Amino acid sequence: MGSFFRNWWRLLVTVALLVAAIQVFVRPSSPLERAEPVRAAGVALFRPVYSAVDFLRGGFSDVWNRYIALVGVSRENERLRKELTELRERLHATRDAVLENRRLKELLSYSQTIERRTLGARVVGHDVSPWFRAIFLGTGSEAGIESGMSVVTPYGAVGRIHKVHPGLSEVLLVTDGRFAADVMVERSRVRAIAEGVGGNFCRLKYVSLTQDVAVGDRIVFSGFDGSMPKGVLLGTVVSVDRPKESIFQKVKVQCAVNFQDAEEVLVILSRPSVPFRAVRD
Amino acid sequence: MKNFLVLFSLSYLGASLCVWWLSGFVPWFLLPDFPFLAVVYSGFFVPGVAGFLCALPPAIFREITAAGPSWSMFLGSMALYFASREVGRRFLLRSEPSLLYAVVSLMAAESFSIVLLLSLAGVSPFSFLWGAQEAVRIAWTSLIAVPLFLDLSVRWRRVKE
Repeated sequence: MGSFFRNWWRLLVTVALLVAAIQVFVRPSSPLERAEPVRAAGVALFRPVYSAVDFLRGGFSDVWNRYIALVGVSRENERLRKELTELRERLHATRDAVLENRRLKELLSYSQTIERRTLGARVVGHDVSPWFRAIFLGTGSEAGIESGMSVVTPYGAVGRIHKVHPGLSEVLLVTDGRFAADVMVERSRVRAIAEGVGGNFCRLKYVSLTQDVAVGDRIVFSGFDGSMPKGVLLGTVVSVDRPKESIFQKVKVQCAVNFQDAEEVLVILSRPSVPFRAVRD
Repeated sequence: MKNFLVLFSLSYLGASLCVWWLSGFVPWFLLPDFPFLAVVYSGFFVPGVAGFLCALPPAIFREITAAGPSWSMFLGSMALYFASREVGRRFLLRSEPSLLYAVVSLMAAESFSIVLLLSLAGVSPFSFLWGAQEAVRIAWTSLIAVPLFLDLSVRWRRVKE
């Protein structure tokens, strides 16, 4: 018996760790929450990376444009081209500033229509795993962000705050498989549960065959479950399938927000009305 | 100490590159999972407590850069370390094909178990296209693993000698 354990203890530890991982998948463990300083240290280590990504993303297009503008410059008109490049750069910088200004203005005017306290935050990174869909915000617990808060843009819903750290928050996107919320069809007021299916899509669950849903319908959050403010746009129906063998329709929704391009978002600083399992940091 | 520092830098730089590349430049399935490789390498080639210590930082990096339930990615990565330790002890991992099979198997097993777990929890965001993309990611990461592991292991042997 002793030799068996000596030979196979690594495999037994592997199984034990896998069981523990499954357990935290199903139900977060409180003893592990005491180990949050370890995670906080890791987050502190990664925060400069996220900040650098944010900074470089802004500068990258600038450097790229400058490089493109200088390729093929002949000696004769070097001075003229340099001047032109400089002017282009200025124009580009101004255009960038104008665009950013416009985006922030839209965000501000949208935040005034929400009638709740909101906080603007920059997107600084994306989840690197293939199984989950999330983005990281460069603002964290110090700004009053808490788990479960809604994240939106003027174009539609983005997701829900999943984990909060000092200086960094993780947002579970509406396209993540673990996201589910009460929604309704704007035109017919048919209610359903929206669930993420990856890509830029969600599906509507529990829509019976007799209910009125059509391609092109806008899907908005009902606000009944408290997870998102009422009326926030989720997306547009792109396909409706009525299989004979099923009692529900298969409704696919394309999200209104392109999450890859989102640069600034609004966090709605109100606690969710339904209890949300908090992840403290 | 040298092992630890090299694996720490490899996994940190790799994870940072993934965070940077993923910010709108490269699709996720073309990004090799460097922290995964660091965990598996420490299981295969770094014996004893040193290997365990080497596996800790990449496991924490995976926990931070992936949006799984709290600590699930860390625990999963440590399970991966012990599994790769067992594989490293039982099989001779000196040739390219054996290394490739071992890395592909471990990566596929990890991916399959997470998908299975999510599916059992009622979450099904995985399509055929996703499967194809995941296969590309596994193949890509494993192909990088072979020369990287061989090179690093030869270097360690030389340092020891």
